[in-house]
Amino acid sequence: MLNWNLLTAFTSVMGNVQNADISKSFELMGLGMLGIFIVMLLIFLVIVVLNKTTKNKKENR
Amino acid sequence: MWDLSAIHLFLLEKATCFLYNNNICGFVYKEEGVLKSLNGLSFLINGVTAVTWQMVLMWFIGGLLMWLAIKKDFEPALLLPMGFGAILVNLPLSGVLGNGGIVQWLFEKGIVASEAFPLLLFIGIGAMIDFGPLLSNPRMLLFGGAAQFGIFFTVSLAVLLGFPLKEAMSIGVIGAADGPTSILVSQVLKSDYMGAIAVAAYSYMALVPIIQPAAIKLVTTKHERMIRMPYNPKSVSKTTKILFPVIVTMIAGLIAPASLALVGFLMFGNLIRECGKLENLSQTAQGPLANLITILLGITIAFQMRAEVFVQTGTLIVMALGLFAFVFDTIGGVLFAKLVNLFLPKDKKINPMVGGAGISAFPMSARVIQKMALKEDNQNHILMHAVGANVAGQIGSVIAGGIILSLARLWGMM
Repeated sequence: MLNWNLLTAFTSVMGNVQNADISKSFELMGLGMLGIFIVMLLIFLVIVVLNKTTKNKKENR
Repeated sequence: MWDLSAIHLFLLEKATCFLYNNNICGFVYKEEGVLKSLNGLSFLINGVTAVTWQMVLMWFIGGLLMWLAIKKDFEPALLLPMGFGAILVNLPLSGVLGNGGIVQWLFEKGIVASEAFPLLLFIGIGAMIDFGPLLSNPRMLLFGGAAQFGIFFTVSLAVLLGFPLKEAMSIGVIGAADGPTSILVSQVLKSDYMGAIAVAAYSYMALVPIIQPAAIKLVTTKHERMIRMPYNPKSVSKTTKILFPVIVTMIAGLIAPASLALVGFLMFGNLIRECGKLENLSQTAQGPLANLITILLGITIAFQMRAEVFVQTGTLIVMALGLFAFVFDTIGGVLFAKLVNLFLPKDKKINPMVGGAGISAFPMSARVIQKMALKEDNQNHILMHAVGANVAGQIGSVIAGGIILSLARLWGMM
């Protein structure tokens, strides 16, 4: 496990780098990408279902 | 008939009396009153003496934006108002700022109070989008998700550069290539760099034909760029087209409530378009509404281009990070397509460039991808696949913005 405390003393161009912010940013990356894919997969399923159901109706007619 | 010479004499006499009574040109008559009288004229140079080098720099930046808009055709609808606005708000003692100043009022009411301008613009954008290519080939949705990677990658980089997480989140959204979403997220998160973020978002959107080919070539081989993808569109029923915006709004609202305003207004515009009963409203949303908001949005955002806010080292870094986000969004989409290809049979492979079209710059990105495909193989037509991914990118970018806002709220940052 990477010890983020090592970065406490790190000062960057825009100021002190916060430990908590670094770990939160990685958390954001993981949760964000996962969240987007979940939403996209749900929309994908909805489209598949819609395409199938409305197509069936047409064919039945 | 008026006697013009009599009126002229009357006005001249009144003006002379006024100047004399107010001691403005008393020096003509009173030698000792010269200095005092010149002080009376100082109001004419108050503005000139209040000019700072930062303001002059902003005039040049405003001029540059207008030049890019007019000469280079870079997003002229946004960059021209922003460029002019940058000059407007950087004139000393500007009457458009402060209490009663029109630009400040527009900003406070149209952006701060309710994010009305970017949201209303989304109705117009929704009415312009045809989700047909995506509905007939829904797997393209995955690229609209993957191509948001640059946003989150840039957030981490911005944090490592020393930006507070809230600022980093706002900066990352530049990568969505979605101006209204960038403005909205930076406003909700109260970013100090809102002006720079808006300029970066719109500038890089205009630079898609330059940025994307370079980024794509960096991570693909010629052979990959030549992959052909047959297009066999399935028919999409009107019911699907009508239900799609409603259901997407409900999904987004239930999973990422903070994205509801963005997704809801985008999908509302699309519903107006697809319902088939509101052609006039659809045309109004696509044309007059979008145009009116665009005119006001550019000049309103210029409020954040005041020298004291804009001229700082952070602005340059924000611009650089925006470019980074844009490049890595494209690369994220391309690499995801390459990953998917590992699991697909040889004759079903996806041209990885299509993944790069999963950003929000619609339809420019799809066109760029098609142009690149034709350059490698003049019989390779992947436009409709790219359009599908590009439209998915529109959804992906607003979802990404909404998720960022949801997490910011969850972490007590707003």
